[in-house]
Amino acid sequence: MSVYDFTAKTKRGEEKSLADYKGKVLLIVNTASKCGFTPQFEELQKLYDAYKDKGFEILGFPCNQFAGQEPGTNDEVQSFCKVNYGVTFTIFAKGDVRGETAQPLFKYLTAQKKFEGFDMNHPVAKPLLDALQKNFPEYLEGDGIKWNFTKFLIGRDGEVVARFEPTTTPASIAKDIEALL
Amino acid sequence: MVKVYSFEGCPWCDKVKKYLQARGVEYEVRDVEESEEAAKECLKISGDLAVPVTTIDGVNYVVGFDKRKIEELLATA
Repeated sequence: MSVYDFTAKTKRGEEKSLADYKGKVLLIVNTASKCGFTPQFEELQKLYDAYKDKGFEILGFPCNQFAGQEPGTNDEVQSFCKVNYGVTFTIFAKGDVRGETAQPLFKYLTAQKKFEGFDMNHPVAKPLLDALQKNFPEYLEGDGIKWNFTKFLIGRDGEVVARFEPTTTPASIAKDIEALL
Repeated sequence: MVKVYSFEGCPWCDKVKKYLQARGVEYEVRDVEESEEAAKECLKISGDLAVPVTTIDGVNYVVGFDKRKIEELLATA
């Protein structure tokens, strides 16, 4: 079994087989429009621009499951959210990525690569962990997706090579992508 | 009619909507993620896709959840 056995719903509502991406290096990410906390769209776009001509694709799966609870928003001056606009990599239809209602692809991905903790050196790690402990302690149990921008790197053969938590910046995984290209 | 440019799951958008509800103000939701048309309108009004954007006439608008500014905007209606 590999990611090629799964389908994903496109924004237009059609089922697309991931087998269409056979032979490519993939980065599968659960995304969310940003509310001043997870500015990873720009970095993901940079990765895509840098490697798309070498057989690299980013597949974004928007998900609202973690919305409305952005850690740190209490003491932030900013009181608005920005819609991801202008990204040119693939964005699929909105759907769940954790729990019983999760899309089968994400159940598979999280079973393949376990949660191994956040990178506590990342500035967002502590507020994120605090917010999860306070609001969703159950999210910290098991291997389910913990938050927006969890990234799975898939090799050219469909194998799940690595999992990166929201606390790993897209820029810092460039070397891992290069190693597979 | 008050229009709120927003998207589902945007906590600040929800605050504006709840505030308007509490004030008994009717409003129309324009979802900038679901509707390209709404996104274009929002861009035209504020020049950006930062939401919530609250407007009545499409000229004067308030970005974000700013009670004072929203009150001022409502007072012009």
